[in-house]
Amino acid sequence: MKVEIGHGSGGKLTKELIDRVFLKYFDFPELKSLQDATVLPVEGEKIGITTDSYVIRPLFFPGGNIGKLSICGTINDLTVSGNVPLYVSVGFIIEEGTDFEILEKIAESMAETAVKSNVKIVAGDTKVVERGKCDGVYINTTGVGKNVRNLSPLNAREGDVVIVTGFIGDHGIAISLAREEFDVETGVLSDCAPLNSLLVPLFEIPTLRWMRDPTRGGLATVLIEFSESSGLGVKLYEDKIPVREEVRFVCDMLGYDPLYLANEGKAVIVVGREDAEKTLEILKSHELGKNAEIIGEVTGDGSVQLITSIGGVRRLELLEEDPLPRIC
Amino acid sequence: MKRERIKELVSLIHEISPKDRKIKIMNVCGSHEHTITYSGMRSLMPENIELIPGPGCPVCVCSESDVINAIRLSQRDDTILVTYGDMLRVPTKEGSIRSSGRNYKMVSAPHEVLKIAKENPEKNVVFFSIGFETTTAPTAALIEMGLPENVTILTSQKLTPEIMEVLVKDEEVGVDAFIAPGHVSAIVGANAWRIFPEEYGIPTVVAGFEPDNLLLAILRILYQLREGRAELENVYRGVVRPEGNVKAQELMYKYFEKADVNWRGIGLIPKSGLEFRKEYDNINAKKVFNLPEIKEEKVKGCICDKIVLGKAYPNECKLFGKVCTPSNPKGPCMVSMEGACNIWYRFGR
Repeated sequence: MKVEIGHGSGGKLTKELIDRVFLKYFDFPELKSLQDATVLPVEGEKIGITTDSYVIRPLFFPGGNIGKLSICGTINDLTVSGNVPLYVSVGFIIEEGTDFEILEKIAESMAETAVKSNVKIVAGDTKVVERGKCDGVYINTTGVGKNVRNLSPLNAREGDVVIVTGFIGDHGIAISLAREEFDVETGVLSDCAPLNSLLVPLFEIPTLRWMRDPTRGGLATVLIEFSESSGLGVKLYEDKIPVREEVRFVCDMLGYDPLYLANEGKAVIVVGREDAEKTLEILKSHELGKNAEIIGEVTGDGSVQLITSIGGVRRLELLEEDPLPRIC
Repeated sequence: MKRERIKELVSLIHEISPKDRKIKIMNVCGSHEHTITYSGMRSLMPENIELIPGPGCPVCVCSESDVINAIRLSQRDDTILVTYGDMLRVPTKEGSIRSSGRNYKMVSAPHEVLKIAKENPEKNVVFFSIGFETTTAPTAALIEMGLPENVTILTSQKLTPEIMEVLVKDEEVGVDAFIAPGHVSAIVGANAWRIFPEEYGIPTVVAGFEPDNLLLAILRILYQLREGRAELENVYRGVVRPEGNVKAQELMYKYFEKADVNWRGIGLIPKSGLEFRKEYDNINAKKVFNLPEIKEEKVKGCICDKIVLGKAYPNECKLFGKVCTPSNPKGPCMVSMEGACNIWYRFGR
């Protein structure tokens, strides 16, 4: 079965699309009312909220798909900002002619990711646009979480350490190669994963200053932004930054720098030196954080400098553009 | 282990580097410049040693006239222009192949042209073959395999030793030593650089692309300078033989001969490129399509000509990183991944 323009009409066909695809997988009581809004209880005094739209090409890639990505991305944005993710809304823009089967696969992996991460999908919307007006499916997700920690670059101090939770660049390379513009095959999968179970335990760390998930623009870009916001600098050690051999190889070949490649299941963490070991221990005890490393330290000089593998210094600057468009 | 070796090389470089004068060491290879920039090698050098990028990017020096002719060919309904990816975005006064061209395809190696020719028997397939000796040899090999009838070649092939000779004679550049390119040397042979130490007294060392190999080349250069010697050395012996790849050279000169060619931003340099020999007019796109020589126009403010010749660093250009970026290149050095401006933009300094 294929999506027709009528599936976006708001009438019977729309109900059929919602029932047959989305409600089949999104088994959350809060969603079932199908009213214009869902009423939710929120514990505590502060909530965190975030929204993000996903336009990735291709829709399915090694290690994930646009649906999984849209849940992970929003969970991760909430978590790195000090919130425990609770609820997610989902909005779909679907191209006429899209197979129901494709939508089902996407919805299934969204539900699976949400359930696994203790997050409920509680509101939704679907729209259909004419053939050729979008690339299959675009998804918007908004997330709400309970705010637990106030994390900000302004909390950071000189001498703090910088930690990354695992191998960087996997997502960027997996997407780049999935587009089949280059005749290269590697086994690299996107790292697309929800990070709340890995990172929420860190909310207990007294000197946890700041976290970010280095998606578009990669590790280098988020650290440059950290430096600009905090007025501090970062010294990174190239040798300490975990990069898979295959990723390094493809980067050499295609002229990418792994430091600027997108990740969808990693976090950069700035924490006081006194809590560095404890933080690393918590991370390493989790499957998603077993390759975590201390990769650098916060300095007072206002720039991000990479100490290269030969001991040279390279100053990292913002790139005007992502080397790879439409990666999330 | 490697780390210790690098540490030792760097400390030796500091130890024997002459303290009383500036030393300019030029590389003429985009891949060398990549390694130097990416590894932050300049930050490890004594203050008086400058590592300058020279004409190491064939895309950057490809004449504007050749690129415009390629654009115009791709605008013809009966023609498909085929070239390397980097060439698609080279800016000219008539746009780039990507922005102004119509029928074009990208390849990563010359033999892919055959497949395109087979799939499009009713079209003229023109292979825009650009580059230094490293790409000329595969193009010659393609011709040797036998070109399909619908294929012709638009050449913009340049020779490395010849442009280096221009640099040596240019006092404004003031090169003290050369790091000779490993890939090109594999074809032309280390001996091709002998002229620089022997006739011009300039130490020249052939190097590979790993940081330690480049550092070793720099160290050998400094030893020569300290002892007042000028010799040809080769620290990339596993790959580069003194005579080079004789078979590839024979093949190149079977189809091509040395000719006076235009270097973008630099001008006409005698015997610095390769054009088809007369007997191959039938596969020479310049003859088959009767292509004109078009006068070059420089973008205002662009100093790519100075950068290519090692007279200025990319960040000395007013356009660098502001209006001229890899997504919107104003000058050729920002286009190719081997261009000095593009490398400096991506990897900093």
